[in-house]
Amino acid sequence: MSKALEGVRVIDLTVWFQGPVSAQYLADFGADVIKVERPQGGDQGRGVRSIKSLEVGDWNQYFLVINRNKKSMAIDLKKPEGQEILYRLVEKSDVFLSNLAPEMLAGWNLTYEKLSAINPKLVYATNTGYGKFSKVTKPSFDMTVQALTGVMARLGEPGQPPIYLGMGSGDAYGGIMSALGIVLALYECRRTGKGQSLDASLYGAQLYLAAPQLQAYLAGNESSALQHSRREVENPLWNLYPTSGKWIYICEPNEDGRFAALRRALGEPAALAVPAFATAAQRRTNNEALIATIEAQTLKQGHETLMAALRAAGVVASPVNNFADVVRDAQAWQNQYFMKAYCEEVQREVDIRGLPVRLSKTPGEVRSLGPQLGQDTEILMMDLLGYEWEQIEALKAKGAIP
Amino acid sequence: MGRILEDVTVLDLTRQFPAALSAAFLGDFGARIIRLDLLPTAPSAPTGRWNHEADLIHRNKLSVAINPSTPRGREVIRSLAAKADVIVTDWQRDELAAMALDYAAASAARADIIHARLSGFGPEGPDQDLPAIDELAAARTGAMPMLPQPGQPPVYTGAGAMHAMGQLAFGIVTALLHRLQTGEGQQVDVSLFGANMYGSALDLQAFLAIGHGDRLLNPISRLDVSNPMSGSVYMSADGRWVTLTMPDTDRWWPAFSGILGIPQDDARFDTHEKRTAVNRLALIGELEERFRREPADHWRRQFQEKQLSADIIERFDFPANDPGVYANRYIIDLEHPSFGKVKSLGFPVWVSDSPARLERLAPCVGQHTDQVLHELLGLSRQSIHELADAGVLS
Repeated sequence: MSKALEGVRVIDLTVWFQGPVSAQYLADFGADVIKVERPQGGDQGRGVRSIKSLEVGDWNQYFLVINRNKKSMAIDLKKPEGQEILYRLVEKSDVFLSNLAPEMLAGWNLTYEKLSAINPKLVYATNTGYGKFSKVTKPSFDMTVQALTGVMARLGEPGQPPIYLGMGSGDAYGGIMSALGIVLALYECRRTGKGQSLDASLYGAQLYLAAPQLQAYLAGNESSALQHSRREVENPLWNLYPTSGKWIYICEPNEDGRFAALRRALGEPAALAVPAFATAAQRRTNNEALIATIEAQTLKQGHETLMAALRAAGVVASPVNNFADVVRDAQAWQNQYFMKAYCEEVQREVDIRGLPVRLSKTPGEVRSLGPQLGQDTEILMMDLLGYEWEQIEALKAKGAIP
Repeated sequence: MGRILEDVTVLDLTRQFPAALSAAFLGDFGARIIRLDLLPTAPSAPTGRWNHEADLIHRNKLSVAINPSTPRGREVIRSLAAKADVIVTDWQRDELAAMALDYAAASAARADIIHARLSGFGPEGPDQDLPAIDELAAARTGAMPMLPQPGQPPVYTGAGAMHAMGQLAFGIVTALLHRLQTGEGQQVDVSLFGANMYGSALDLQAFLAIGHGDRLLNPISRLDVSNPMSGSVYMSADGRWVTLTMPDTDRWWPAFSGILGIPQDDARFDTHEKRTAVNRLALIGELEERFRREPADHWRRQFQEKQLSADIIERFDFPANDPGVYANRYIIDLEHPSFGKVKSLGFPVWVSDSPARLERLAPCVGQHTDQVLHELLGLSRQSIHELADAGVLS
């Protein structure tokens, strides 16, 4: 089967999470992604050995999954000889991607001006922390940038600490936004023959991630910046409810017919058949009382019994699962959101996050997990960049490559 | 200044926020987005307030209003689809099929069409036709129970829907690139279910790999975080929260201990092992107590001065007043014809030569019906009037 990004070569000079995820999207669809790493230790993501105090196991899933389908070259870019190798690679590439600090790239003579002079068709993509035109200079990690956007402060029950959206949540969003910018610039390049530079920052992506609530705030709805209690939502039919087991999420509009269906599912309790809840307007006005009344009913049973009753009554709802449930969810496996992949490091198949974007005729694929550090350095220098073996030996002697 | 997608016409058959915003995103980069509004539209009383949501998710679009209950209306809709390079939709499959707007019918009329759909749970499997509701997908994806503090209700963040928005636009542009090369169109599917998994990428992948672990299934108290200096939050003297991301504590400890007044060589905390394992809870207790001694602004100054990876947890007023946000056009000032100067969400990706732009706010229903039918379908003014008189258009 053909690949959507066949023939696109990407220099992936990224570390940790956001940048590697961006290039992963491109690699999944067939781009030839060459990860360029420092010879000593490579991408810091290779060193991750525990997540939340849990050993990651015998294979490093942090690094290997987001760097799948990629090749690896180890080059010391601090050395002019190393930079020369990269320049040759730029001549042969369509995209340069980096999430290193702009000052670091400038220090290594890898600015847009320098690289586009070598290859005017180059798409030069960065992932800064706070945006290309920001004056802020300090380290940027997912959570410290997420903190600034306001997205954390509005989550959770009133009075509770702010809530982080999950490990790597903002990086993952910055990654898809970066990949999106890159394919857009590639589209323009294919039509006009011209490259350009682009930036998808962590801050910009995460502000967009807050779009529904942030836009409301900008329009004057100050409460959208604040925490809201589930006991006070305007439509009690679209809400979280506890059971004696898992929580459930009921998702129904505030309409008489839907309320009747919910009452049926709950066994027509007298407490719900009262005038105070009879119309949509009353249910909105008396929302707190109605939520408490529904909760008193849902707490009487386990989530499985309750879900069966809700399904029978045609009420749209889901149990609030945990990861142990989702990894067994057949729907996820059938759609390739989870996949098996062979892991060289442990010589067996492992379970990985699969392909969230499906293209029917040019589907993404996982050909290999992340590369070993520098595994393709020599072969790419010979086959792609035209170095002679003597030159490679000389560059090794100078420490430009290991 | 180029317009990256100026040769692309998109038919927008969307109802909900994420897919509608995907289409608007393509419009920000120059695609011609034709939004189909179905007649009769539900009557809505004017609120007198700015419809800020429409001016985000329908900006840079044209609106065509057509009544699908008439045969001629359906014919016009099909003709529009046949002229489109891309269909973006979040409709259910039976709705698309009923109007001959599913991939089979649309590609019969135009072989190289790109048919992009946001689904609830993906195109395969027993739940392929469940409604595309992000809360349902999020509830099923596993992250909600572990986000809050212990004993608190699960948390719905909405991040999955926004991941789907980005992934859908990425799938479309990737398919456009393939079409440019080969002339071949195809279907694109992104689901809220799959997108929610990407929103909780690391935790979920960790559980997939490890296969067990209470710390990945249940909430972790902020006073029991794995690394007191990373992923943690502490309250300051004025009730605002501080957050830290300094995973490699050896690198940061000298400067960090200094701003808190902890001796750098405090024997309880002088190695990474002691800070994150042996005396982890003691360090959390120490930080909890010391951060409460000074207000948030004090800590921010210290973090900035020492270049620490740490910050204050802000509310939306922070970005709304941050000059850097405007310099990057993440939020833009605009002059609204009815509401004067307003602020609106801008553009998350900066592209140097062909930047995103705001050319028009959300259209009124049917504002561009005549124009689009004339320009795109070549209908004469006369036949457009006849269709309007017959109640097919407005």
